[in-house]
Amino acid sequence: MTNEELWQTALSEIELSISKANFITWFKGTSILSNKDGHIVVGVPNGFAKEWLENKYNLYILRAIRNIQEEVKSVSCTISTANTEDSTQKEPLVDAISAPKKVFVKESAKFFPGQENNLNPKYTFENFVVGGNNELARAACFAVSQNLGQIYNPLFIYGGVGLGKTHLIQSIGNEILQRDPSSKVKYIPSEKFVAEFIEAAKTGKINEFSQCYKQIDLLIIDDIQFISGKERTQENFFHIFNHLSQSNKQIVLSSDKPPKAIQILEERLRSRFEGGMIADVSKPDFETRVAILKKKAMREGLSIDDESLGFIAGNIKNNIRELEGALNRVAVSAQLSKKDLTPTYIASILGEIISSGKKKGITYKHILKTVSGFYDISPDELIAKNRKQEVVRPRQVAMYLMRSELQYSYPGIGSKLGGRDHTTAIHAFDKISKALKVDDKLFEELTSIKDQLYSIV
Amino acid sequence: MKLICTQENFKKAIYSCERMVSKQNTLPILNNILFEAQKNKLSLSATNLEIGVQAKIGAKVEKEGKITIPARIISNFSNNLPAGENISLELSGQSLKIKSGAMKVVIKGLLADDFPLIPKKKADSLLEISGVKLKTVLSRVLTSVARNEARQELTGINLILGQKELFFASTDSFRLAEERLVLDKLSVNKENYEIFSTKNGSLIIPSATLAEISRIISGDTDTPVKITIEEGQIFFELENIIIVSRLINGKYPEYRHIMPKEYKTRIVGEKGVFQSAVKMASIFASGKTGEITIKIDAEAKKVLVSSMSQDTGENSTELNFDITGPSQEVVLSSKYLLEGINTVSTSKLALLINSESTPLALREINEQTGEVLEDYTYIVMPIKN
Repeated sequence: MTNEELWQTALSEIELSISKANFITWFKGTSILSNKDGHIVVGVPNGFAKEWLENKYNLYILRAIRNIQEEVKSVSCTISTANTEDSTQKEPLVDAISAPKKVFVKESAKFFPGQENNLNPKYTFENFVVGGNNELARAACFAVSQNLGQIYNPLFIYGGVGLGKTHLIQSIGNEILQRDPSSKVKYIPSEKFVAEFIEAAKTGKINEFSQCYKQIDLLIIDDIQFISGKERTQENFFHIFNHLSQSNKQIVLSSDKPPKAIQILEERLRSRFEGGMIADVSKPDFETRVAILKKKAMREGLSIDDESLGFIAGNIKNNIRELEGALNRVAVSAQLSKKDLTPTYIASILGEIISSGKKKGITYKHILKTVSGFYDISPDELIAKNRKQEVVRPRQVAMYLMRSELQYSYPGIGSKLGGRDHTTAIHAFDKISKALKVDDKLFEELTSIKDQLYSIV
Repeated sequence: MKLICTQENFKKAIYSCERMVSKQNTLPILNNILFEAQKNKLSLSATNLEIGVQAKIGAKVEKEGKITIPARIISNFSNNLPAGENISLELSGQSLKIKSGAMKVVIKGLLADDFPLIPKKKADSLLEISGVKLKTVLSRVLTSVARNEARQELTGINLILGQKELFFASTDSFRLAEERLVLDKLSVNKENYEIFSTKNGSLIIPSATLAEISRIISGDTDTPVKITIEEGQIFFELENIIIVSRLINGKYPEYRHIMPKEYKTRIVGEKGVFQSAVKMASIFASGKTGEITIKIDAEAKKVLVSSMSQDTGENSTELNFDITGPSQEVVLSSKYLLEGINTVSTSKLALLINSESTPLALREINEQTGEVLEDYTYIVMPIKN
């Protein structure tokens, strides 16, 4: 057993016997430096940890270690000044002082991972349909494109899949390039950023990697939530982020949830994400959906009447990508079958996509199972006759979902959940509907419950 | 715990400790100050696990004991205490009862058992610096410390233990301040010092620690500050206060080779006059860096400080300074120059220039002899055109 394994095993035992806050405070950055003649030397990051571990936790540590290696007799601590970070990966030592530069314009400095900016020219502000759901986000993006790096830095856009985040943030890049083709703009999805970082780490080119990102005027990172849990990447990104924001370079990020809901994100990154402007795009309303379809139809040269567009918009509510997909599907089938586009015909084509919940064969049992699983209670408790605090909210969520996803009748919901009155179900539905509008956390919860719900079938 | 102490001592001890508490909430006890009564002494301790401070004051102790009290509350209490009356402290359960004259306070605390142990120093002290001297040195070098945490090592102050001299230096990579202290004028523990200077001659001390020390050193009485260095940590002892801080890991950038050994042109003049000329120019300075131009005309014996902005207007001031060496013209950041001038403590100063693209320096002038003093140097890079 190596020292590292020994320490990890011991730590996992110590963790059980002391509080989490204490564990993190005192055992962070510790390691076994040597293990000789029954004496173990633990390296600690500072004098406080040394005093505390030697005087207060000595017994815990010794006991934990002796459970693994009986021959160990004593443990002592020493402050290890050895840099935990690999010193070779630090930036090369530069001169202590340098001249502040007058202007930052450099003629087409070389970009390391390829010069392409990854922007798709079809995403522009002109062809973005504005509605109540995305007004704020669009205004923020447009403002940023007019005053790069001056206001709202970073700009953080979040919203569900297929609601136009990518379109919006790429529009900023395209707008900038249109005005000044020499600007350095980079759009990159975060998983690609991570992949590039890993590649750079593998070939030992982390410095070049950071350097090349530090020269960018506008950095757009899509789906930043995928950076969660990748600590080294986060750290490197943190430095790039700092560098850019300090030199007033614009950063634009998008994610499927607000910064505070992204899991395993370092606090310092989170607070920086929240430091600029946060705007959300939500699901489009009916009018916006019709407007999107009209614009799309016009672009594709389709002749389709308002009634049919209204029918498609009325049935596909959640996702703009699906909406456009549906229109494509309608257009292609109409072309092939040479039939006129009428609502009945469209309904027959789109039958499979519309009301996908029912179609996928989800029943109320699935809902109960998913909801109880999500809130970590047993399905029986949802049905049981009690009003315990921790069960009430999940039960209401279940009722809400049965109504909204399966269109159950209120009396039906009541009887499925332990013979409750239909007014209870009505109350639950109203309550959750109202809470959804104000409670972001609940909204997140429902979104992930729905995700789970549709993925189990 | 039961004791009586003077209000002056009490306030002083709270003042020394109140800022050292942690701002994070992982361990709530780190927001507290530890009160410990033992053998005619009341000791107060506080720490944020990077810096720890312990202040001891004399007290009439009737019963020993200890408790921790939220720093914010006790410091607000101490600041609002009307002067005069002695203070009596008494522990009752998990609360501290405080009485002063007609006022009574009960503050809820936390058990002292969970309070971190402040590291005790093991080695003998290395050297001793006069408090007043240290305070001036610190006020100078703290100006140039990098605020940005991107480069950890620059957020601290570099202390170099040289053979004959001690150097304090700081830089944020645009300007640099260095103060030299000659060892012969300090009281030094020779043996320990030799061992240290050969083994580990360069340390980085967190600027927060030094800012706190500079705050605690009172300017009116000159008490010596003892400095002790151990592995990874440094101790400062003032009269009744001991401060321990971690050192920053890492290597401070080599800066000595950037400092010019000689300067071609030198101007000497009143600090106040120069300061107001630069300040005036900074109003019209252009660009984010606040560019101003200093033009030295050796033939006409004139120094011209000027600035021009397309938006606001322009300004120029002519100075009658002593000039030695050839004519020069440099463009500088007014902010960095002004902050440098502010650190000069003599009534006259010298500006030393080599060329428009090499570092220029500010130095002090001996009040009596008029010589240029070389102990303190503030260096700024000119702006490249």
